[in-house]
Amino acid sequence: MSSAITEHRDETEHADHADEVRRLERREGWNRRLPILPALIFTIVVTQIPFLFTLFYSLTDWRIDTPEPREFIGFENYGALPDDKFFRDAAWVSVQMTVLAVLLSLIVGTALAILLDRKFFGQGFVRTLLITPFLVMPVVAGFLWKSQMFSATFGVLNWVLELFGFESIEFATKYPLASVVVVLVWQWSPFMMLIVLAGLQGQDTSVLEAARVDGATTVGIFRQITFPQLRPYLELGTLLGAIYLIQVYDHIDVITGGSPDSKNLPFYIAQRSIGGGNRFGLASSYSIVVVIASIIIANIGLRVLSGLLEDDS
Amino acid sequence: MALFTRAPKAEPILGQNRVIAHVLALLTWLIGLLFFFPLFWLVLNGFKDELDANSSPKLFFDPTLDRFSEVTEDTTGLLSFTEAFGNSFWIVLISTILVMALAIPAAYALAIRPMRKWRDVLFFFISTKFLPIVGAIMPLWIIARDLDLLNTRAVLIILYTAMNLPLAVWMLRSFFAEVPNELIEAAQIDGCSLMGQIRQVILPIVAPGLAATALLCVIFAWNEYFLAVQLNPVEGSTMPVWVASQESGRGNFLAKLSAASVLATLPVVIAGWVAQKRMIRGLAMGAIK
Amino acid sequence: MAEVRYEAASRIYPGTEIPAVNALDLDIADGELLVLVGPSGSGKSTALRMLAGLETVNKGSIFINDVDVTLKPPQDRDIAMVFQNYALYPSMTVAENMGFALKQAGVSKEQRRAQVVEAARILDLEPYLDRKPKNLSGGQRQRVAMGRAIVRSPQVFLMDEPLSNLDAKLRVQTRTELADLQARLGVTMVYVTHDQVEAMTMGHRVAVLKDGLLQQVDTPRELYRRPANLFVAGFIGSPAMNLITVPVVDGAAQLGGLSVPLPDDVRAEVARRGLDEIIFGARPEHLALADVGASGEVAVVEELGSEAYIHVRVVHGQETEDVVVRVGGETAVKRGDQVSFGIAGATHFFDPGGDRLDGE
Repeated sequence: MSSAITEHRDETEHADHADEVRRLERREGWNRRLPILPALIFTIVVTQIPFLFTLFYSLTDWRIDTPEPREFIGFENYGALPDDKFFRDAAWVSVQMTVLAVLLSLIVGTALAILLDRKFFGQGFVRTLLITPFLVMPVVAGFLWKSQMFSATFGVLNWVLELFGFESIEFATKYPLASVVVVLVWQWSPFMMLIVLAGLQGQDTSVLEAARVDGATTVGIFRQITFPQLRPYLELGTLLGAIYLIQVYDHIDVITGGSPDSKNLPFYIAQRSIGGGNRFGLASSYSIVVVIASIIIANIGLRVLSGLLEDDS
Repeated sequence: MALFTRAPKAEPILGQNRVIAHVLALLTWLIGLLFFFPLFWLVLNGFKDELDANSSPKLFFDPTLDRFSEVTEDTTGLLSFTEAFGNSFWIVLISTILVMALAIPAAYALAIRPMRKWRDVLFFFISTKFLPIVGAIMPLWIIARDLDLLNTRAVLIILYTAMNLPLAVWMLRSFFAEVPNELIEAAQIDGCSLMGQIRQVILPIVAPGLAATALLCVIFAWNEYFLAVQLNPVEGSTMPVWVASQESGRGNFLAKLSAASVLATLPVVIAGWVAQKRMIRGLAMGAIK
Repeated sequence: MAEVRYEAASRIYPGTEIPAVNALDLDIADGELLVLVGPSGSGKSTALRMLAGLETVNKGSIFINDVDVTLKPPQDRDIAMVFQNYALYPSMTVAENMGFALKQAGVSKEQRRAQVVEAARILDLEPYLDRKPKNLSGGQRQRVAMGRAIVRSPQVFLMDEPLSNLDAKLRVQTRTELADLQARLGVTMVYVTHDQVEAMTMGHRVAVLKDGLLQQVDTPRELYRRPANLFVAGFIGSPAMNLITVPVVDGAAQLGGLSVPLPDDVRAEVARRGLDEIIFGARPEHLALADVGASGEVAVVEELGSEAYIHVRVVHGQETEDVVVRVGGETAVKRGDQVSFGIAGATHFFDPGGDRLDGE
């Protein structure tokens, strides 16, 4: 009898204990979540809510000169997109510009990193020289190249061309897309270089030595050991580069002023809306298309990233 | 704490041969100088007078500081140098402080005592960087207009904070993840409160990483042009807008523009030089760790 | 000064079914040095961290001095812990590291200094008080970690593999110093290690864990003399006990040519359960070369100077078994010799499930 009572008491005690453990674990869960909330809420409010507005605007025919409330027109803006030559052109420019700039920066950056990843006189100094373009304000970079490198009259490039007996060219007018891409590559190769450099310096030395002992050639080592180890870094560079380069605006504004062959979507959208075009509804639908395209790219990118994050266990 | 010591130096990929090594070193030097040349030219032009600058490229001339004094003293435009510099200074400073204030606790929750599904949250932060700013510029402009925030420092402070936050969270997480868990546990056993743990144990360890992250935020915020010119075309705008406004002047003012460019670029270039290694390490670690 | 009691304490990590520590019952007396030993994944560190308050106790309770601390946070338990990698605060000097807990507790600066200097004196750390941890050797860091624990004079010292980052020689030396220090201070200490030699040399009592379950807790001598099961028998002692499955014929275990008569209580138990196969155990030091007995070819000779271990390949039924026999140093036995050996000390018998047959 008495033992039954004790047992009963034990059980309630256990139940209390279990409750207490659960309560503590819940509180612990909140304690862990709490610190992230300010950043999370701020980010949602500032980046996600405006995006929802854009979505809504894209379904209206809102222009700044139509008196509010604007009229809801469903998907009419989107329906007009395939026939909109300017939009198509801008989209094509966006694709070319992003792909070219990312790819070329990556190639140049990797080459520079490999050159830098060795002891030689002035190594640190040369690295400093090489990264500086990345730090330069895009507006300044654009201006500098346009008026002091590309310019037909005062540009260094043309001065060199003439030295070899060629006609001088107004690069920014004649090859607007290429001009912008050159400046982007000049600014972003250093960034890629530093990321690849981080990868090269993080290499496992013993593996390299083992490969050398096993008689692997320099090319073989690079292909079979260094490159696989660099892959996550190259992927990271591609991802970060794409995030920033898809949104290029400043360079275009300064170098070509948005001439047709160099006008990408961000530039065109700004032009059609707050830049004076005032077609807010229409421009919003462009934005949504850009966002959807970005999300598709982002998904691929994030899959890559999640692969990167898997390593951390 | 081997936070920032480099891994033992790996053997270089290229060149075991001495002659090749010298040739490659020379080549690297040449490319380095070539990459830097446009900036060298920019600085040079800043010291020229307009006649020298606006002519066929010349290396030798009588250097003068006049262009620098001209651009800093000129008040005819909408935006004077002192105004733009002041705006840039405060906007960059306050937004960076805000970014760090928001990102440090977030990084703590992602790395030190990871919440459940922290990966998803980190993904969310990164994914916001994929939304092109043009996707939101119209509502931002309208909301800012309705809140009377157009042409104020406040609007850029808020937006630059949002712009840099994902990057900062990402980088800081990787730095925080390097703090050994035992240290936090030791501090707990020693009777240290949560704030105490962060202030006295974690922050001293991650300080170099914090500095690198903050600097990267400074660079991006200082150089930002699109939002500044769209939202603050009249007042409260920043150095990039000031530089661009120098160009829209009448006639050829190449030397003056160069001087302005040098002034606008110098602060973050120096900051970047100081932080170059750590900055990128933080970025790279963000992905690999 | 404190007693520690685990009462059916379990730790189940979220998302797992099997408890990392399963209903641990353990009484640790005041002033005792108890060693938790086991292979990796045995739950020994988890058990220690439960006592520290770093792991949630999902079931059961933990008491320090009869106070239920199960739900208390670490700082309210009056314990100190030394971590495997020492966990010294890299930005603080040795003195600041040692005084950190006191500072948190609001102890005055002078008082702090006095206590730190006193602890530093005990540990010969006085010359290093103003150094940063990165400027110390491994052994010095280990002592600073000790000092950080001593300074607070806590009720219980918790040690999580504190010597495993030291080199072999220093480890042996520090092990002695640590045991001596514990005895001098008379504090209760719970010490986790995976190294059974460390466990045996240091522990007043040793608790052997495996897969989260307590296998046996006893003095080193008793663990050696009467291992409760096959796991403990194989884990404690170096070199390990020979453990061979053997048939039982006429109340005697048969190994090669050797017939080992079972003690009465074992024989009775074997008969009662009708076992025809048991596991026979004998430590190398309890076997000796003899003219008659089990015989086989010598496969390996391990010469240690003062003694040697020879591995004898015994044909046993269909299989061959290597049996390790201890012999004196400078033995004449060579690889390839044919030798015989017999019993020269304690023997152990376990049922096929691994439990000791003469257990209670």
